[in-house]
Amino acid sequence: MYTLLVQKELKNILLSSKFTATFIVCSILIILSVFIGIQEYNNAVSQYDINQQIASQNIEEANGWDRVRNIAHRKPNPLQIFVSGLHFDVGRLSNISSRDDVKLSRSPYSDETIFAIFRFIDLAFIVQVVLSLFAILFTYNAINGERENGTLKLAFSNSVSRAKYLLAKFSGIWLGLIIPLLIPLLVTLLLLMVYKVPLSGADWNTIAAFFGLSMLYVTFFIGLGLLISALTQKSSLSFLLLLVIWIGSVLILPRIGVMTAGQLVPVRSVAQIEALQQAYEQQQWDEYSESLSNSWKQRMQEMEGMTEEERQAYRDEHEWNWMEEDDALRRQVRENITKNNRLLLEETQNRKNHQQQLAFNVSRISPASSFRLAAMNLATTDITLKSRYEESMRTYRDIFTEYVEQKKEETDTQGGFQISIDSDEGVSIDFGRDDQKLDVSGVPQYTAPDVSVAAAFGRSIIDFGLLSIFIVICFGGTFVAFIRYDMR
Amino acid sequence: MEHTESNITPAPMLEARNLTKVYEDGIKALDNLNLKVEPGKIFAMLGGNGAGKTTAINLFLDFIQPTEGMALINGINANKEPLEAKKHVAFVSENVQLYPNFTAMQNVDFFVRLGGKTHYSREQYEAALHRVGLQSSAFDKKLKDFSKGMRQKTGIAIAILKDAPAILLDEPTSGLDPKAGIEFIRLIGELRNEGKAILMSTHDIFRAKEISDHVGILNNGILMAEHSSDDLRGVDLENLYVEYMAGYMEHTESPIANALKPS
Ligand SMILES: Nc1ncnc2c1ncn2[C@@H]1O[C@H](COP(=O)(O)OP(=O)(O)OP(=O)(O)O)[C@@H](O)[C@H]1O
Ligand SMILES: [Mg+2]
Repeated sequence: MYTLLVQKELKNILLSSKFTATFIVCSILIILSVFIGIQEYNNAVSQYDINQQIASQNIEEANGWDRVRNIAHRKPNPLQIFVSGLHFDVGRLSNISSRDDVKLSRSPYSDETIFAIFRFIDLAFIVQVVLSLFAILFTYNAINGERENGTLKLAFSNSVSRAKYLLAKFSGIWLGLIIPLLIPLLVTLLLLMVYKVPLSGADWNTIAAFFGLSMLYVTFFIGLGLLISALTQKSSLSFLLLLVIWIGSVLILPRIGVMTAGQLVPVRSVAQIEALQQAYEQQQWDEYSESLSNSWKQRMQEMEGMTEEERQAYRDEHEWNWMEEDDALRRQVRENITKNNRLLLEETQNRKNHQQQLAFNVSRISPASSFRLAAMNLATTDITLKSRYEESMRTYRDIFTEYVEQKKEETDTQGGFQISIDSDEGVSIDFGRDDQKLDVSGVPQYTAPDVSVAAAFGRSIIDFGLLSIFIVICFGGTFVAFIRYDMR
Repeated sequence: MEHTESNITPAPMLEARNLTKVYEDGIKALDNLNLKVEPGKIFAMLGGNGAGKTTAINLFLDFIQPTEGMALINGINANKEPLEAKKHVAFVSENVQLYPNFTAMQNVDFFVRLGGKTHYSREQYEAALHRVGLQSSAFDKKLKDFSKGMRQKTGIAIAILKDAPAILLDEPTSGLDPKAGIEFIRLIGELRNEGKAILMSTHDIFRAKEISDHVGILNNGILMAEHSSDDLRGVDLENLYVEYMAGYMEHTESPIANALKPS
């Protein structure tokens, strides 16, 4: 009997023209998205390779170790094909030098703004928006539609238990929707192999986990559709309700999380920070000039009543001291300003982290947010993408600058520049090794930060759990509602 | 099981005992209904819209719980042991729609199997569909392209194939054209001769008289009168009709009732 009921549900889905149409559309979307994702990735890889080459060439061709400039590049991640996350919004490169702080700039979208308008639609987006809608489309009338058809009455005029019927209904619908979706997903894996996207064993595991996550998410919407369908008598009503819930949970709630967090934990904007920094700077310099003029006044006072000669002698005697005093004061001011700037940034960063965490947690009332967060965490294209790279680039900067310093010292004697003044040629600066290329074989190379699969899974585990809980709630609710369902 | 060996009064296959249903909103749809349908008998419930016919049938199928009394199928309380009781009953609903994406054959196959009959061949399905008067060309058409009467016929075929000792029919002739109506009456007669106990609700007094062994007139949830076919033989149809309509007219202003009212 169970198999008979499952078969019926399967047939009911597969025989409907609605299914054929939506299935084809979804499949095309999925395959196209991954196909374009692969092209994007390959472009990014070749660009990355060229940039790497240019960077090492630049080092090679520098006129000396003190002239060496380096740029570190963010390495394309094959998982961005499925979950682009923040990939297109985070800068691709940063200057590596002892003078400037590491700052990722030139994101793919800032370089090619046209693509920012028609943003890349990744598989995660398709699952989140399109497949959830697809699941609702096939479940909104799963129970009340059968009531309207009279098939529920006819079925239950037989010796059939409601629990068994519901279980079979769920299994049938699940199989009928999930199995067909596996087809385009498997095609995408084939595409990855055909285009020889370099994937490690860990990457394959992550992709499997991402597919699992997607199924969990679609299962939630199947459960939701069943629940609403079991709570209402009319399919027109359940469709409307589900549409409202879908819009709420997919489009609105995730943003509400960010908005509430913004209200609860306000964070200074960049402009505000700059204003504060400037105000402090101004105040510090004002104070500095005041104390400077004060000390000069005092110095003048000390010289009062002296003869011109005595003054000159006094000045000669103290000038050096005074200069040092003033210098120290200026240095102190500079130091204060730097410290204040750093403090402001740190404080803002802390608040930002706090806000972020709150935003994520609030938005997790919607399974769509859970799905999105988990997908990005799995693919490591999540919110930490930028800080992760900047941090590793800072570490690299220290290593790199240290190496360069050392090289500079080593080559100072023979490689230092020489300024010669000639009456004919004027001033010329001789670096001593004009045509010679630097030996860059020992230059430390930048390696992208590695996130272990375990860590990525660990960070997405809450969302897997939340989705599972949502599913259990939906099915529990459907069960209770169906046992008491008025099928007339 | 209340099987008695005596041939004088065989145990009823369908029985309502003090069956009462008060809906949540306080409407007393069925008031102390008592009726028995023995194997090989047809009981017709006559009554206007809202008289309580569908309510009575829903109680036999455990779609609703009785406020008082009980509905028995083959001696089994339909609300206490529904799964057991429903093994003995086939049902044709008021407005059969079935699965629109399935063909007649697929619908029949599914529901008959669900009814526990898995041994039928396609030929037997075809024979049953023929028997209810569905043309062969429609057998493999999707139900969404069927007329109301064609769906009704498919539903009746399903009930026949379930081959249960009791049959519940809620206004089975409502969608049928006159020819199909006549064929249906003949079919019901055949089923009775096979020993089925049949409880049907109808608005059609003439057919009810023609075919039934018992006619019960239901008004406002109360069984006003019950006549056996022997009683009816002597009674002038007109009188019965007026009696029936009088009860009908008391609480409804149905346009159908008005149309039926003799001028
Ligand atoms: N779910 C319900 N809740 C409340 N009242 C109901 C419900 N279903 C039916 N009723 C009421 O019960 C009464 C009997 O309804 P029922 O459907 O049994 O009549 P019926 O004889 O089958 O009528 P018809 O000939 O129109 O099919 C009506 O007054 C109806 O309004
Ligand atoms: Mg009715």
